[in-house]
Amino acid sequence: MIEIDHLTKRFSRHTAVDDISFEVGSGQVVGFLGPNGAGKTTTLRMLTGYLPPSSGFASVDGHDVFRDPLGARRKIGYLPESVPLYLDMRVREYLTFRGQIKGLRGRGLKRRLDEVLDQCGLQNVHRKMIKTLSKGYRQRVGIADALIHEPPLLILDEPTNGLDPNQIRSIRKLITRLGKKHTILVSTHILSEVAQLCNQIIIIDGGRIKAADTPANLVGQMRVAGRVTAEIKGPAEEIGAALQELKAVKKVSHELAKDGWEHFSIFVESSTDARERIANLARDKKWPLRSLSRHEATLEEVFVELTRKD
Amino acid sequence: MRTLLTLYAKELRSYFLSPFGWIVLAFTAIMQGVSLSTAMKILQDTPIADSLVYIVFHTPIFWFYFLFIFPLITMRLFAEEERSGTLETLLTAPVRTSQVVFSKYFAALSFYVILWIPAFVHFQLFSTLTNIPTPFTNGSLLGAFLIIFLMGVFYTAVGVLASSLTSSQIIAGIITICMLVIHYFLGFVTVIWGETSEAVGFFHYISCQEHLHFFAKGLIDSRPIVYNLSMAAIVLFLTHHIVDYRRWKR
Repeated sequence: MIEIDHLTKRFSRHTAVDDISFEVGSGQVVGFLGPNGAGKTTTLRMLTGYLPPSSGFASVDGHDVFRDPLGARRKIGYLPESVPLYLDMRVREYLTFRGQIKGLRGRGLKRRLDEVLDQCGLQNVHRKMIKTLSKGYRQRVGIADALIHEPPLLILDEPTNGLDPNQIRSIRKLITRLGKKHTILVSTHILSEVAQLCNQIIIIDGGRIKAADTPANLVGQMRVAGRVTAEIKGPAEEIGAALQELKAVKKVSHELAKDGWEHFSIFVESSTDARERIANLARDKKWPLRSLSRHEATLEEVFVELTRKD
Repeated sequence: MRTLLTLYAKELRSYFLSPFGWIVLAFTAIMQGVSLSTAMKILQDTPIADSLVYIVFHTPIFWFYFLFIFPLITMRLFAEEERSGTLETLLTAPVRTSQVVFSKYFAALSFYVILWIPAFVHFQLFSTLTNIPTPFTNGSLLGAFLIIFLMGVFYTAVGVLASSLTSSQIIAGIITICMLVIHYFLGFVTVIWGETSEAVGFFHYISCQEHLHFFAKGLIDSRPIVYNLSMAAIVLFLTHHIVDYRRWKR
């Protein structure tokens, strides 16, 4: 659905997006993550044809966004970060206008209007002026606008930005529902959201792609995923040395004993699970083992590890 | 074409859905009325060979309010969209930049034409209400309104250009009025410095005062028609490129 090839955007001195390439297949819900200023919005703007790229190529559903911008834009429903709307229009009037410039007419337009108003929960505010709506409703009007021409691809730039937890939940539910019919590229930095919504994640920082994979794979590959903690009773030095001998163990660090139990943090190679071997070792040596747990990495740790500046 | 019409209808409607449009309409209607009554006073006081139409368009306040119409009706067009960010949603919808520029321009021009309806009605009602035989010929009425329209074609384009240059309505308005005032004074160059310089022909050619002078007498000259139309085309062409270029440079 989306094809981006060596896309670069340079502003006078600053390179916002630096030679990125990725593809998004049909029907996927892709999370586009990165710290502020990483180049997310710039990438999305190039994809929607609002900013022309400095070099490189991007296409949506086979339409080059630069050579055939109108063809590409017909395939895209775009919600910009700031959700710009005409504040002095009524909800239905605004959506009618947007539907018309996206090529809908007559009965088809009316049918779509009713559908999107329903889908986005706007039925009871459709006669209100947009300026009187709360941020959550404005966001929904923006999404309704993105949806109105039934685009195969939805691009949502931080759709839950600035909403309260209830509104975030309702937007998230909406996106989950939409994900069944549309390909979605959603940029955000709320990571719990991504884990629930997306089946693919692209992490970008400093204009470059740091990782692109499924959430499960990303979490699995991280260094933090290879950390096992164990509480064992026995001679600390001997235990440490024995643990170090085990297969696939990279580093053992001993933390202070609490109430007679020695705490160990054991770093193993990320794809292996050393817990069984540790348990066996403790049993063979007759060292009591109280707890043995593998650290579950979160997306947040993945994100921090990939994008921290040190 | 349908897209253009949709955009045009939205722009034109927005003049009438905000108090601002009505204020501009009221302002020009009042000034046109003042112009007319001033002209009638002049005719009453001194015998003049010129027609009522000619005098109405040559009262001292005419240029004052006439030039102010353009910043008022055009400053909002692009500046407001730029400031509120709606230019992004507009230009990422399947519409061409040219459609956006033309829809805004023609909406402003249509509103400008509507602004002149009160003045036209004044002249039509004049003899009915005063029982005086019409103190002007149809030729001068037609000529005056034709040049008013042609200047509108050009000056509205200037306003649209200024609006596309900035995201502040005030600055857009100031740029418009400055350009129009400069253009206005260029028309006075031959009056101030005399007819001796080599560029006299040029200054006569672009002088809006002279255009109005001849047209309001009923002398319809093809040169001002070509001048205003081609200047409008050039300015709109520039506007189109500026709207596109603003996206390139950022």
